[in-house]
Amino acid sequence: MSDSLSYLLMAWLDPSLLGLTALGVLGGIYIGAIPGLSVTMAVSILISFTFSWDINNALALMVGIYVGGVYGGSRTAILLNIPGAPSAVTTAFDGYPLAQRGEAGKAIGLSTIMSVIGGIMGTVVLAGTAPYLSDLSLQFAPRDYFLIAVLGLLLVSSLSGKSLARGIFAVALGATIGLVGMDPVTAQPRLTMGSMELMGGISYVAVMIGLFGVAEALYQLHNLAKVPVKQNVNKIVPPLNMILKFLPLSMRASLIGVIVGALPGTGGDIASLFAYDHAKRSVKNPSRPFGEGAYEGLVAPETANNAAVGGAYVPMLTLGMPGDAVTAVIIGALVIHGLNPGPMLMIETPYIFWFTVGNLALANIFLLIFGLTGIKIFSKIVEVPKSILIPLIVVLCVVGAYSINSNMMDVYWMLGFGILGYWLKVFGFQMGPIILGVILGPMLDESYRQAMSSVGDQGGQFLLSLFTNPLSLILSSVTILVLLSNTPLKGWVLARFKRQ
Amino acid sequence: MSKHIERVQPGEKIFDWLLLLLSIGILFEAFRIDGGLKLNSAGSFPVGLGLVMLASSLAILFSHRYKRRAEHLHHAAEEFQAFIRDHFKPYIVVFSVAAILYLAAIVWFSFYLSTAVFLAAMFIFLRRGKIISSLIITALAIGAIYALFTLVFRVYLP
Repeated sequence: MSDSLSYLLMAWLDPSLLGLTALGVLGGIYIGAIPGLSVTMAVSILISFTFSWDINNALALMVGIYVGGVYGGSRTAILLNIPGAPSAVTTAFDGYPLAQRGEAGKAIGLSTIMSVIGGIMGTVVLAGTAPYLSDLSLQFAPRDYFLIAVLGLLLVSSLSGKSLARGIFAVALGATIGLVGMDPVTAQPRLTMGSMELMGGISYVAVMIGLFGVAEALYQLHNLAKVPVKQNVNKIVPPLNMILKFLPLSMRASLIGVIVGALPGTGGDIASLFAYDHAKRSVKNPSRPFGEGAYEGLVAPETANNAAVGGAYVPMLTLGMPGDAVTAVIIGALVIHGLNPGPMLMIETPYIFWFTVGNLALANIFLLIFGLTGIKIFSKIVEVPKSILIPLIVVLCVVGAYSINSNMMDVYWMLGFGILGYWLKVFGFQMGPIILGVILGPMLDESYRQAMSSVGDQGGQFLLSLFTNPLSLILSSVTILVLLSNTPLKGWVLARFKRQ
Repeated sequence: MSKHIERVQPGEKIFDWLLLLLSIGILFEAFRIDGGLKLNSAGSFPVGLGLVMLASSLAILFSHRYKRRAEHLHHAAEEFQAFIRDHFKPYIVVFSVAAILYLAAIVWFSFYLSTAVFLAAMFIFLRRGKIISSLIITALAIGAIYALFTLVFRVYLP
């Protein structure tokens, strides 16, 4: 217990960790706010710069950027109607109308407070549930891991992008990239096309930087002509009675955020959509009609997207499954540092868990401080033109891709995936599912083969085992339901019910 | 009542056909791992993924059957022109070529020199002139890169 407490407070008491968390949050707010930069991009690039650091320092910076970045997107959503991050899309629905009414300061203040409430709630749930879930996950058989990974990939396929087919293609493409190289069991070359260069696999950091950095930079070239809008902001600390009024809604939205965030492959963007929808349905008398500057329309998504951060850490730290694209990248960072994300993390390196919990809480305190201050400088910095930003992103990507292995080949891979990512993005594919596929692909392969071996390589037995064990049965049923809900069958069933 | 018609972007169908080809290529490579289909081997999961990619790329192509090209594009030649116009704008082409040359230059020359030339050239090009301010921003950027990566992060630079 005392050990857990000391790990929990480590980031609060160590000046360097304190400074790195603060720096991360501050940097994250700007990264999240500047359209064209994303938290996933920043964390991907950071892995390569911090892999020689002590793991606590590296994690402190990444956690700070993650927490700050999820919040930062809301500021430009409110001020400019340009969500800096996907999780802030719903914030713009009512945030921008509030700014147009001259209430931008109040809206930013309220969104800051609600983000912090959501973030703290997410952290509390993480601390309260993850140890139990981790114990439970030790009982999981390989087939259950296989089903959870399939479910996660299916969810991310169905919840992102233009169509389920595109989502599934993106996930499968990512998983295929993750499998390139020598088979860890038989040392057979897989998907290497006879190339010796590919025997060691493709560095997933290079893939991540290419897809989130270079692809985004190329895509942003289309928006080069957009001129940043100047905004004036006034006093931003909201009155206490206003916070208390929206507290019940923010609690409900926090719960939605944590649950949605904990589903493998979802994240803040989907959590905020769900929470906004909940607010629209549950608030009978909003301060103004939704979409015209209702505070409730700002409170719900802002609380939910930050609560989703804690939620996303739950499957990552207990099952080794990323809750969203950023935690997928953080899994990569943990592996590079020789750690083993998953149920064994709590047994082998419990300090990482408690350190992360304490660090998330600390990051939220810094979020409160930085969120309510420096707004004047902020509105200047987000006006950085894309013509300056885009070449700098390319240079950062080159340095990031090279420094991980000191190998120019990784830089060429990064560029190749950047170009592929650009075209995929143009034609409606999302980058998140590809990265989740890269991370989950090898895990799926391993759990599938273990599950097959456990039933003597009998296909029929394997299928039977998915439905004869209680936990597997639940997971299989949910997986089938998710799959069917994305087919025309759903419409047919609903129509039948309506008729009856 | 007018029926809503879904539109495809110029080049989208061709791209989706290319994805189908990629899926076939991956499936072929996956089959080569074990020289056939086995339920539990190094190649079984890649074959499964190849099949998933093939099925999903076919589903994507199938979804195009009711989609039409944009109203103002009457035939394939016009669609091709629109595709070139949208995605091969001069500044996109110049930037992409410059980025590739920059990567080549890193190997031939030093990182700092090639980065400085790349940044200065791109700032001047994308900002349409403003030479002095572009050079100042380049100098500041190089200084920041040196401070950050050489002094703070101490990473190996190309």
